[in-house]
Amino acid sequence: MSTDVTEASEETLLRPITSLSRGYLVALGLGCAAIAFWLAFYVQQLYHGLIVTNLGDWGTGGGVPWGLYIGAFIWWVGIAHGGIILSAAVRLIGLDTYQPVARIAELLTIAALSCAGLFILIHVGRPDRLVTAVIPAWPTRVQWSPLMWDVTVITAYFVLTGTYLMMTVRYDIHRLRERLPDTFDRIYDLLLVGYSEAEDEVVERMVWWLAFAIIIMAPLLLHGGVIPWLFAVLPSMAGWHGGVQGPSFLSIALTSAVSGIIVIAAAFRWAYDWKRLIPDEIFRGLAKWLGFFGLMFLWLQLQQVLTGIFAAPTTLQHATEVKVSTPLYWVAIGLVALALVYIFASALEPSLFSIPRIVVTALAVLVGTLIEKTLFVVEGIQHAHFQLYDGVPGPYTPSLVELSSVVGTIGIVVLFFLVVSKVIPVVELHAIESDHEEVER
Amino acid sequence: MTGITDESAPVTFDDEWERRAEQRLEETEFDTELGLELARDVQEVIAGEMSECEFREKYHDTVREEFGEDAREIAGLDAIGDDTETAASIEDRSRGFFEDEESRRSFVKKGGVAAMGLSMLLGGGDSPGESATAAATADDEDDEGTRYGMTINLNNCDGCLACMAACKQEHGLSRGAHWMYVLTYEDEDQADENFLVRPCQHCTNSPCTKVCPVGARHTRKEDGLVLTDYDICIGCRYCEVSCPYGVNYFQWGEPDVPDEEIDPSHQIDERGRWVGARPPKGVMGKCTFCADRQDGQMGEEKIGTTACEEACSMNAIHFGDLNDPDSAPNKHLEQYRGSQQNDLSAFPNRTDDTVSTFKLLEERGTSPNIHYIGNEPSQHARQVPGPVTYEEVGLVDNRKDAVLDDGPTATNGGEQA
Repeated sequence: MSTDVTEASEETLLRPITSLSRGYLVALGLGCAAIAFWLAFYVQQLYHGLIVTNLGDWGTGGGVPWGLYIGAFIWWVGIAHGGIILSAAVRLIGLDTYQPVARIAELLTIAALSCAGLFILIHVGRPDRLVTAVIPAWPTRVQWSPLMWDVTVITAYFVLTGTYLMMTVRYDIHRLRERLPDTFDRIYDLLLVGYSEAEDEVVERMVWWLAFAIIIMAPLLLHGGVIPWLFAVLPSMAGWHGGVQGPSFLSIALTSAVSGIIVIAAAFRWAYDWKRLIPDEIFRGLAKWLGFFGLMFLWLQLQQVLTGIFAAPTTLQHATEVKVSTPLYWVAIGLVALALVYIFASALEPSLFSIPRIVVTALAVLVGTLIEKTLFVVEGIQHAHFQLYDGVPGPYTPSLVELSSVVGTIGIVVLFFLVVSKVIPVVELHAIESDHEEVER
Repeated sequence: MTGITDESAPVTFDDEWERRAEQRLEETEFDTELGLELARDVQEVIAGEMSECEFREKYHDTVREEFGEDAREIAGLDAIGDDTETAASIEDRSRGFFEDEESRRSFVKKGGVAAMGLSMLLGGGDSPGESATAAATADDEDDEGTRYGMTINLNNCDGCLACMAACKQEHGLSRGAHWMYVLTYEDEDQADENFLVRPCQHCTNSPCTKVCPVGARHTRKEDGLVLTDYDICIGCRYCEVSCPYGVNYFQWGEPDVPDEEIDPSHQIDERGRWVGARPPKGVMGKCTFCADRQDGQMGEEKIGTTACEEACSMNAIHFGDLNDPDSAPNKHLEQYRGSQQNDLSAFPNRTDDTVSTFKLLEERGTSPNIHYIGNEPSQHARQVPGPVTYEEVGLVDNRKDAVLDDGPTATNGGEQA
């Protein structure tokens, strides 16, 4: 059953493209300001090197070589993967209720993957070599280095999501072309190259298979695989090693992605008065998913803490003791736990539910997951198996240069949505087409 | 039934233990006394006070008599147990039988001790640890061609830090980057002052080369040196987080020694790759085993030497080809062992010598190419100030505090701040 959005017209759908408000310009300004804020710091890093961060060498050096950059990288990849899983589920198993937010999820995936890629660029000491060194090394290194698997799979996902988006957007643009602004004609021409209505049925089938590939690949390879394997396969760092990282990362990906979709969908709903296009029902549903994934997240944290405390090998026990005695860890867990309390309370007592409240809840979860992932990276390397050095565990608090990168990437996502929403409909035409029929498979 | 008692067993068993053990053994159809003795001696094997072979030999006949077979038998080696064979020769033969050290150990654990079961049946302690097999074990590494490595005699080290200073000088390292590092530590079961001399271990099974996404960190196949190609490294620091030893030093800012002060012959190796001297900004560096010396760039006479070895006046560092029995590391180990012989005439079951050797974190499976003579630091060991401070020899210990926290002002066009 689809959500009843038939009353919403094409006009409603095209509101972001056809209107220009002061609020839009303010948001655009804020997005650009956030990016400029980060760029000002990043220029320093390019000039002076990574010495402007608070990172250092582990061992004698009294520092940690990986920090917020890698934590934020995982966080963005998680949001991206969760987003595309949600969108794929809509297409694959006919979760039509969420069709109005499917494209938002896809766009979020593209934006978040870009931010994740950017964090790799920011993190490395020689960003200029990312192309010159990585491409020639690919054929011989991809079967070895988890980092190379990572780059490969992220690229694959980027292409997959881009294709997916491109294929579905052609249908909409073709039908809405008359009402779209002439300014972007060239873009629309390009998007519609070779389009004919005869392809719709084929495209829908192809999209179904793409969604199928994504659903299979995501838990096995992405946030349930390659990303956690960056850490899980290293036996020297007790806090990183082990099989629980895959499921744990996946739970975080889904939790933070649903939160991201809630925030962005609510922003569009508020800005363009889309109460009918993205009805309450969608947010209630997303809240339930957030509750479920959040519960998985907490449960997997419990698994790690319990196995790390109860008769664990000394280094793992030490790493876990440090984890549970870190106040910031409990801030992260507390934020997700509070979100759960609200979500379950509002499920029992529907009057407690409101869109602003669920947005605050989602933001809390996003903050919580970013903290948890960064702590995971930092504490993992702070408590290496070899503890003889006086400089181990080294201290780490992110520098302003590092913190600015999170602000900057959030700015990038904001800017991305603001720009894209001016060019293509961020809600699919299918979402308002009551006569939309499932294609025979 | 012949019982062999050992009054001098260092593991004491209280009456309660003995009563429970007897009770449980009596429930079986087998000899209670034999079971108790086996259990006691297993404790000694676990503690490393008795070798597995000795243990096996001691009870071989009685076990066969009692059980009809000796389940502890090492497959394929029927002749073991022949009274004319020494414990050492059995150890050697068992080593040859297994393809690698890992499987031999795992067999020794499973077949030799655990299969005995009696000790475990009685709750007689932890599973046999690595100590049961002496640290000075046969190498499982590739023994073809040259494999550079070191024997570092920690008993000779006096903590003067000359090796660290020489390394910094020769490679133009920035402050706080200690490709060679000597740390003084205190440990629970060791006398007050101990040293650990820690260069890169140049592991045969190195995690850093596996994880490197671009192949910058690589093993030079000619001689086993683990090197970083400064022209390729993207500075992701994955090698650093994968290394269990903490030997990597990233070039966070501009290097203290500018490029023009470094002779290109020290930088470019015989294959034409930039692997020598300190890394440029944004790239990872670590001990190279003085690749330039090994390539003959510093003259024929320097081949097979390192800066740290040369600077060591205590005869602690011995560098050379581990595959060559006559190389400095192998010769030193042999001579040192020769000088620390056990009195086998009085104690025939003891090892040939009293020399304790180990490889650092060998259980991580990295196959390190540094052999240490001396005691291995335990998990409880902590670094303490040494007899000579790092500052006294012009070095900075904690790079984070003393250099990196100053940010870009810490480096100023290659000059020290």
